[in-house]
Amino acid sequence: MNWKRSLVAAAAVVPVVGLFYYGMGQDPKAIPSPLPGRPAPPFALNAMGTADTVRLADLKGQVVVLNFWASWCLACRSEHEVLREAAARYGPRGVRFYGVLYNDTPENGAAYIAEMGGQSYPTLLDPQTRTAIDYGLYGVPETFIIGPDGRVVYKQVGPVTPETFTRYVDPLLGKREAAR
Amino acid sequence: MTRILGSTAIVVALALAVYGAVAAVVGVRRRDGALIRSSQAAAYANCGLLTLATLAMVYALLTHDFSISYVAQVGSRATPTFFTIISLWSALEGSILFWGFVLSVYTASVVYFTRGRLGSLGSYALATLHAVGIFFYLLLTGVANPFGAVFPVPADGPGPNPLLQNHPLMAVHPPFLYVGYVGMTVPFAFAIGALISGRLDDVWLKATRRWTMTAWIFLSLAIVAGMWWSYEVLGWGGYWAWDPVENASFMPWLTATAFLHSVMVQERRGMLRVWNLTLIIATFLLTILGTFLTRSGILSSVHAFANGPIGYYFLGFIALVLLVSLVLLAGRSAELKTAGHLDRLASREFTFLINNLLLSAFCFTVLLGTLFPLVAEAVRGVKVSVGGPFFNRMSLPIIVTLLFLLGVGPALPWRGAGADVLGRRLLPAAVAAGVVAALALALRVPSFYAVLAFAFAAFALVSNVQEFVTGARARMRAHGESAPRALLRLIGANRRRYGGYIAHLGVLAVATGIAASAAYRFEREVTLKPGQTVTVRGYTVRFDGLWAKDEPQRFVVGADIAALDARGRPYRTLTPRLNFYRNGGEPITTPAVRTRLDDDLYINLLAFERDGSSATVHVIVEPLVAWIWIGGLIVALGAAIGTIPTGARVRSRKVVRV
Amino acid sequence: MNAKRLVLLVGAVLVLAGFGYLVYGGIGNNLVYFLTPSELKAKGAAAIDSPVRLGGMVVPGSVTWNAEAIDLRFRMTDGKGTIEVHARKAPPQMFRDGQGVVVEGKLTRAGIFDASNLMVKHSNEYRPPAPGHVPQEMYRSLVKEAGTS
Repeated sequence: MNWKRSLVAAAAVVPVVGLFYYGMGQDPKAIPSPLPGRPAPPFALNAMGTADTVRLADLKGQVVVLNFWASWCLACRSEHEVLREAAARYGPRGVRFYGVLYNDTPENGAAYIAEMGGQSYPTLLDPQTRTAIDYGLYGVPETFIIGPDGRVVYKQVGPVTPETFTRYVDPLLGKREAAR
Repeated sequence: MTRILGSTAIVVALALAVYGAVAAVVGVRRRDGALIRSSQAAAYANCGLLTLATLAMVYALLTHDFSISYVAQVGSRATPTFFTIISLWSALEGSILFWGFVLSVYTASVVYFTRGRLGSLGSYALATLHAVGIFFYLLLTGVANPFGAVFPVPADGPGPNPLLQNHPLMAVHPPFLYVGYVGMTVPFAFAIGALISGRLDDVWLKATRRWTMTAWIFLSLAIVAGMWWSYEVLGWGGYWAWDPVENASFMPWLTATAFLHSVMVQERRGMLRVWNLTLIIATFLLTILGTFLTRSGILSSVHAFANGPIGYYFLGFIALVLLVSLVLLAGRSAELKTAGHLDRLASREFTFLINNLLLSAFCFTVLLGTLFPLVAEAVRGVKVSVGGPFFNRMSLPIIVTLLFLLGVGPALPWRGAGADVLGRRLLPAAVAAGVVAALALALRVPSFYAVLAFAFAAFALVSNVQEFVTGARARMRAHGESAPRALLRLIGANRRRYGGYIAHLGVLAVATGIAASAAYRFEREVTLKPGQTVTVRGYTVRFDGLWAKDEPQRFVVGADIAALDARGRPYRTLTPRLNFYRNGGEPITTPAVRTRLDDDLYINLLAFERDGSSATVHVIVEPLVAWIWIGGLIVALGAAIGTIPTGARVRSRKVVRV
Repeated sequence: MNAKRLVLLVGAVLVLAGFGYLVYGGIGNNLVYFLTPSELKAKGAAAIDSPVRLGGMVVPGSVTWNAEAIDLRFRMTDGKGTIEVHARKAPPQMFRDGQGVVVEGKLTRAGIFDASNLMVKHSNEYRPPAPGHVPQEMYRSLVKEAGTS
């Protein structure tokens, strides 16, 4: 065996594996969204089961988590518990959570929430899917994290994980809490 | 119970694989025969254990045991039994289980057929096989555990992915692909064994030839079956779209095909030793890479499975295999200096050299095109996909040149021949090529490459058939045999060579089918009311109405379309369908295909009015498509003839020189 | 190194170089960029006639489908920009208002996107909407007609 040559050859492994490792962090199905970094499109929507209207403009200065879902969506079921826990953890720290019902009837939506054992935050109704269009929705679930300055910080396509929040919400809170 | 049986079998197999790998290496080092024999016993035991685990899973699927995670994921009481059984490979965990099963069978049979004959080379190869086994059994106990517990137990499951339960070819394509993929582990293990043990002569090649051939046959059949499946299910009338998953199965086939040719150069002339080792290592890596690409979610594809942490395991494994192989190859390269040298350019070995160059360039192109979106995103931050035109543009010149070589190769003797011999041998083939080319030009074949493909296919056909004719004639003269008998005896006496030529004929059929169906495709999309007709390329069809059918797992909407003869009378009803699966999004199409040797009439239902007042259909007429499937079978038949041992256990028989 | 070897080596290098050039040129000309309507619009005239894969959402109420002429027109949006799409193809079954779609084609001079291929954005994560889209309900009349229900 000629070990000197071996060592040189071994170096060739690095770029190949590096490329794949990078690729693993990317989602090829994710469609580039023009939204992150831009101001979140404004909305004024009726909260399901109430007469209240929620306006994004009123939420300025707060971190907002907007989760688009539907009762017919299986992936939404899998992320329901994650969202409930995240709302329990971040709610007290001033993060506002809202669901937005997508392409579904309020009756089905309410039945779904009852079936899943309730949800701690309100769901907004978007009857003309106007807000979904403004946010460039491709399907459900999709979740948007909006910073205190009203700009979209992150868009999650597919179900959220606890890491989604630790990675994108924590820094926003850190900045705000430090500023206080 | 089934769950515990299955998962215990896998855990024990993992432990035995670890033991087997270590015992084989330590056994060689210490020259301890007992240790090596225990490693061989571990291989047999693992074969039994993985068979048990696989049977347990099939049993769980059949009994709808939804307490097992894989069954809960792909099972459904509504799915027909046939598709329930084959849902074993319809999702990630099950297919890794099947992979492990196939690997354990290969490992055990390698031990059975080579035990005690190959010394340290064989033991290191066994250690490598065990090591590959460790990786897959590790996946099965962890990230890809099919025997996970589900509680509370669901009453029913969603059923397999609709695309995978819509056609019986799903019972053929995936298992054949795995048998082909996994089979490449055997020559790889022997190559690594040769590199570690330093026995760098032809021993590893000869010991693995049958395994490589078997794997190659299954891989070839799997690719053709996959094309056929696409054609029968995806509904666009094509069979190849350069999708990453298709490319993933094609790349190892290209390197393996190159290997099958270049080993002959090493056997005959002692050349290309580093190259052969590189090719077989590349083939194995490409099978793992293909699985990685499709299972990690790294590239988007119609066939991609959901992603998860499993991608990182595959990445780690690829890195390890690449590292070990490169270190060994580079370290041994000085000892692998070529023994022979090239005498003449007009020789058999030179055509093999060019054949290898082209096949590896082909593989490189496909690899580049497949991975380019990844590179572009890493380097320039843009999302791109490489279009089919790139692959077509790059591959067509390579394919027609390969067809040409396929005609030249058999006519050239080893060590070369003079121009006069060459001219005499290739004259009939050249005449045939000229006639076909003139004919194609006169008929205004629309594509330049199609003209070349037809001409070179004719060239190669005549050249290969000539080999049979010359050989059979010689036998008829020498032994006074009848023509068919002489032909059979000829093939039987020299199976490897004539099997190869038969495989060549199959390749020609495939190439002709592809060239003709791509160049002469006629199609129309049209909306018809009941009673209306449409004519495409001489075929007139009439829309007779829509129907619908409720089945347990799906809802089917079909159209009755009558094919009319010249007098306007229906002679056959075609029923393209749309299948709405209960668990899936997009409906899956079942185009109606009337296949004939000369052309295919292909009708796909695209859209319809809910009241049945009209249907939009895609009518396609393509010539010679059937020859692609027939050609695939001929290739496999030829290769199988070449694989069967000549006579009983005549191992180192001298092959008659040409 | 003898002369024959040198010739072979030079030949191999030339072949490789030519091949590399072919691959490079081939890829460059055949890249299909994945854009959203606003990104496509931002490219202006440069985007005209180059193949693009466009991802967006079907604007509700914008779809017109002429089955007789196999002519489909709709507007597609990403929330920032909207683009007119024209296809001489039947819409996929799941194609409808508000659906995420991916179309392949080219932007014409008239500013209309000429789509040669339509794909409904779906994956394992996206399950079909139930209300009003349950196929059994949709095509109940067909079942009755066929009498096989």
